[in-house]
Amino acid sequence: MSDLNTITQSLISGDIDSLLEQVKAALEKGISASDILTKGLITGMDIVGERMETGEMFIPEVLMSAHTMGEAVKILKPLLAEGESVSAGCVIIGTVKGDLHDIGKNLVAMMMQSAGFDVIDLGVDVDSDTFMKAIEEHAPKIVGLSALLTTTMPMMRETIEKITQSGKRDSLKIMVGGAPVNKEYADEIGADAYASDAGSACKLAKAMLK
Amino acid sequence: MYDRIQELNQNDFSRIHENAMDLLKNTGIVFNDDEAIEIFKKNGVKVEGKTVFLTEAQVRSALEKAPTKFTVKGRNPAKSVTIGEDDFVFAPGYGAPYIIDGQGVQREAVMEDYDTFCKLIHTSKYLDMNGWMMVEPSDMPPSTVHMDMMLSNFLLCDKPCMGSPVSRQGARDGLEMAAIAFGGKEKIMDQPVSVSLINSLSPLQFSDEMVGSLIELARHGQACIIASLIMAGASGPVTLGGVATLQNAEILAGITLAQMVREGAPVIYGSTSSAMDMKTGALSIGAPALAKNINITAQMARFYKLPSRSGGGLTDALFPDGQAGVESALALSTAARSGINFILHSCGILGSYIAMSFEKFLLDEELCGMLRQMLKPLDFSDESIDVEMIKKVGIGGQYLTNPKTFKLCRTEFFLPDLMSRSNYDAWSVAGKKKIHEVADDKLSKRLATYEKPDIDPTMEKELTEYVNRRKNE
Repeated sequence: MSDLNTITQSLISGDIDSLLEQVKAALEKGISASDILTKGLITGMDIVGERMETGEMFIPEVLMSAHTMGEAVKILKPLLAEGESVSAGCVIIGTVKGDLHDIGKNLVAMMMQSAGFDVIDLGVDVDSDTFMKAIEEHAPKIVGLSALLTTTMPMMRETIEKITQSGKRDSLKIMVGGAPVNKEYADEIGADAYASDAGSACKLAKAMLK
Repeated sequence: MYDRIQELNQNDFSRIHENAMDLLKNTGIVFNDDEAIEIFKKNGVKVEGKTVFLTEAQVRSALEKAPTKFTVKGRNPAKSVTIGEDDFVFAPGYGAPYIIDGQGVQREAVMEDYDTFCKLIHTSKYLDMNGWMMVEPSDMPPSTVHMDMMLSNFLLCDKPCMGSPVSRQGARDGLEMAAIAFGGKEKIMDQPVSVSLINSLSPLQFSDEMVGSLIELARHGQACIIASLIMAGASGPVTLGGVATLQNAEILAGITLAQMVREGAPVIYGSTSSAMDMKTGALSIGAPALAKNINITAQMARFYKLPSRSGGGLTDALFPDGQAGVESALALSTAARSGINFILHSCGILGSYIAMSFEKFLLDEELCGMLRQMLKPLDFSDESIDVEMIKKVGIGGQYLTNPKTFKLCRTEFFLPDLMSRSNYDAWSVAGKKKIHEVADDKLSKRLATYEKPDIDPTMEKELTEYVNRRKNE
């Protein structure tokens, strides 16, 4: 267990070089890829999530841990048994049509990635057709819509309406966010969830899929 | 460097100086202490009764002897501080009789409050020095409380502290106790371990308590702030130019006496003069006049090549509210940015010095941290600018996952303990706490984890015995 514990610690401190060495050493010792993933890495990311919430870990540190995790998973992925998924699910995210702001959206995407989601980032100024096309192609569990401007917020409603019309609404959850957005607006336009920052978006996404 | 508030020019310095010299030579200044009068006479100064008439030559000769900067040793030597030139210290509030609590209720301060402030200062990330009489404990006999405060200063905090200037005997008690805490009088004679606050009695007087203390402290190598607190329009002229001149005369007279007592005595040029509120007759320390005078004080002290002292987080507000925040930030930042070397009252004061507040103390402390950060010189080295990294990230990229952001995320910017940066949702969920409530939470946590600094048990016993013995005399 101490090997897995060291792996968890290296992940939390975002130390890529040490982590990769430790993962390889653990495999050589005969520890299974599955154990390394669930008991070493995912345990680590859970701690990272908690520490971010309490303010003990900062955003760049969380992202570094996430990146570190991604590198370790590359080694483990080919070794995992059939049907054993690394992914918590697919998330499609984008800033809605007419809006070019992406810092917050990027942060949410990165945090989701760090929590184990497969994130398809459609970028900025994304119209409802593009969202629909991506939904059909990737069958996501969650669609995330972002807007920073009050003038582009109505595009969130329009995109949701489009998804509803397509008949795909029940197959996925819709999350909205952005500085002027709030819970009331999210309810009004028929979104499933609203998160006020990247950390809570990630937490909420995980909770919704449980 | 351009700063809109640094307005005194060479001509102004000369005019303030010459007019102050005129006052000292022709109007004179009263020192209510026989020994002071003897010292002045012995140095050839013209004296009539208790009024002393100083010449410019006598003042200049004293100024030449005063150090530009000096260090004050802490009981923990690693916490010693330097005062003067580019070095400055934040010191806590001073002299408040009351505490205003988190509910806005005012009560008399007690010894326990004094001790609590010592603990907060000991654990402060941003306060460099302990004060003295942060509050006046009402539950202790007034004739001996100076020793109780000194004892707490030495036992509960290991930073350098202020000294006891209550009276000649009060100063002697402080010196005896400092000698115990620092291993003998000879150890402190040439190494200040305290800075004491000597105030003039404006206009143009010094009380016997202050002069007696000044003489004892200067004689024993301890640093003194010679300060004037003029209420413009009441105890001094209504114009700040007049205030600058009058306080200059008072401060320079005090400094001259200190240098006549002991050549090279460490002194600080101090003032916390401000405006009288014309509607009530009360002192206003939230007034822009206070900040203006802070700046004048810093400039005049530099003109004389002396360390300077002013007030810090000062306010007329009676609660750590918006007014308190605005006024304190203006005064404290003016002091820090003007180059004041000893920033007294950095933390805790409410209601024009009437009270200390624990919540306000924490709030001001955070302000001290922010100012320290603002004053930290920026790094424009190749490594800091790192234009290659900017090129690499390129157009439309992001720096969130850049290794440099990761590396510097804890050290590059100021990390607030109290200031909220939450969004509305998070703030609401956490109970919509106002800053004084956040401070209140932090206060109990901080005091719960306080640990008394190490001290040699023999030394502690000697200090305690000194106080007990003197109380029984």
